[in-house]
Amino acid sequence: MAAPGSCALWSYCGRGWSRAMRGCQLLGLRSSWPGDLLSARLLSQEKRAAETHFGFETVSEEEKGGKVYQVFESVAKKYDVMNDMMSLGIHRVWKDLLLWKMHPLPGTQLLDVAGGTGDIAFRFLNYVQSQHQRKQKRQLRAQQNLSWEEIAKEYQNEEDSLGGSRVVVCDINKEMLKVGKQKALAQGYRAGLAWVLGDAEELPFDDDKFDIYTIAFGIRNVTHIDQEAHRVLKPGGRFLCLEFSQVNNPLISRLYDLYSFQVIPVLGEVIAGDWKSYQYLVESIRRFPSQEEFKDMIEDAGFHKVTYESLTSGIVAIHSGFKL
Amino acid sequence: MATLLRPVLRRLCGLPGLQRPAAEMPLRARSDGAGPLYSHHLPTSPLQKGLLAAGSAAMALYNPYRHDMVAVLGETTGHRTLKVLRDQMRRDPEGAQILQERPRISTSTLDLGKLQSLPEGSLGREYLRFLDVNGHCFPYDTRAPTRFVDDEELAYVIQRYREVHDMLHTLLGMPTNILGEIVVKWFEAVQTGLPMCILGAFFGPIRLGAQSLQVLVSELIPWAVQNGRRAPCVLNLYYERRWEQSLRALREELGITAPPMHVQGLA
Repeated sequence: MAAPGSCALWSYCGRGWSRAMRGCQLLGLRSSWPGDLLSARLLSQEKRAAETHFGFETVSEEEKGGKVYQVFESVAKKYDVMNDMMSLGIHRVWKDLLLWKMHPLPGTQLLDVAGGTGDIAFRFLNYVQSQHQRKQKRQLRAQQNLSWEEIAKEYQNEEDSLGGSRVVVCDINKEMLKVGKQKALAQGYRAGLAWVLGDAEELPFDDDKFDIYTIAFGIRNVTHIDQEAHRVLKPGGRFLCLEFSQVNNPLISRLYDLYSFQVIPVLGEVIAGDWKSYQYLVESIRRFPSQEEFKDMIEDAGFHKVTYESLTSGIVAIHSGFKL
Repeated sequence: MATLLRPVLRRLCGLPGLQRPAAEMPLRARSDGAGPLYSHHLPTSPLQKGLLAAGSAAMALYNPYRHDMVAVLGETTGHRTLKVLRDQMRRDPEGAQILQERPRISTSTLDLGKLQSLPEGSLGREYLRFLDVNGHCFPYDTRAPTRFVDDEELAYVIQRYREVHDMLHTLLGMPTNILGEIVVKWFEAVQTGLPMCILGAFFGPIRLGAQSLQVLVSELIPWAVQNGRRAPCVLNLYYERRWEQSLRALREELGITAPPMHVQGLA
């Protein structure tokens, strides 16, 4: 489908969801969000700005951006701790699997959108670095009868330890980027990393710039990003999305719901002092489309060879598509 | 476009999240009358309350600066006790007035200028002095609104209890260091019976040094308990109408004696 059409479809889907939600009688709760004056809107007949969902509330698209910003501003410092506590550390495995699926070759230019605290970026750098080291070792082993001087020169060349790979971490939230930068300093990542404050719906990059575009646990917080993703990828570039999805096993689904709605907000309150942000989190997961639907949406946006892989019985899924 | 929408809508209504029976619907949409009852109210299930109570107790012990955890502990464990307190307030004429008029003690409702102008030794003036000496900061749990109490009136009762806490410091003559707080907690535990006060009274001293602990156990706690039992319920006092009353007279009225020793230097 042509890009403008796909963009329209995406926004229609946004509106379609909210209409469907209304039809299914979701409550519009009056929530006194800290510092936020707006509550969920009541039903009315007149034409309104495009609507979307914010957890179980229905909000306009402009509102959603602001509200999501506030959520992540307040959770930024405890983000990583909470991830570990909520997923019992499994989120690390999920992210590792994303990298494994990515199999980046040396020289890959990666754009990690909504990459906030840098988990994907650091894993990418580790992967690329170890790949490069292995390559170096192989080369040296292949060259027989080298003198000590030649070996020393090889190591002294100080060539790019990443093999030309670069990663750009883009996030709309300053607090999350700040935490990410601090982590990078603490863990010693310097080369090959760039931090950009930017909006996923309007990326501050030129066309055809990146080999891989990833968005891990960020896509349900934004509204239309397909066009931008398509634009900044080089032809042949890959779109990878790691996100919570629908559980396919009914028993696990019930346990998962129980855990999500009973335990996670409590964890949020006790550890981070923030009930509402984590209530938003579990609600936004429920509102996200299923694996198949999301695959269709990616295809509609112009990507080819779209596949997905469910992890942990469908709690998360990795979707992949190519710009051809 | 409509033809494209229809399958999307159909698929959406087929989403597991929407077809679940009411009992399994996530908490916010539950229809057992548990929508928010007052502003800031967060309806919680019994399981969540239990988890919150355990988690907040653990966190409060681990990090004593998390005053919000103490507040959460109080809210999640105090339901039955709050009912008893509320009924007892209703039986008392001054308490009943408080329940009806719902006065609040906060920086926005206090007229500090007027309190300043009151004569020395009056409740208002001494209260102001107490605030000044202790850094003029309301403790965190006073400011935080009640969230987990599932009854609007009881939510006010616990809010009133928190706001009266500073008054108790003034009445008992206790500073806001750890020792002073523990003494006030013992007084409150005897007076109100709130589980959070009882827990705080018993677990608070964990972090005290041996010398303070000795003073606490031998003199301060018996004094606090005695006064707590003797005095009528302090929640029944309409403090806002008693600013001009002399502090000494008020203490006599309540049967509160002078503390056994000056606590400022300890802890």
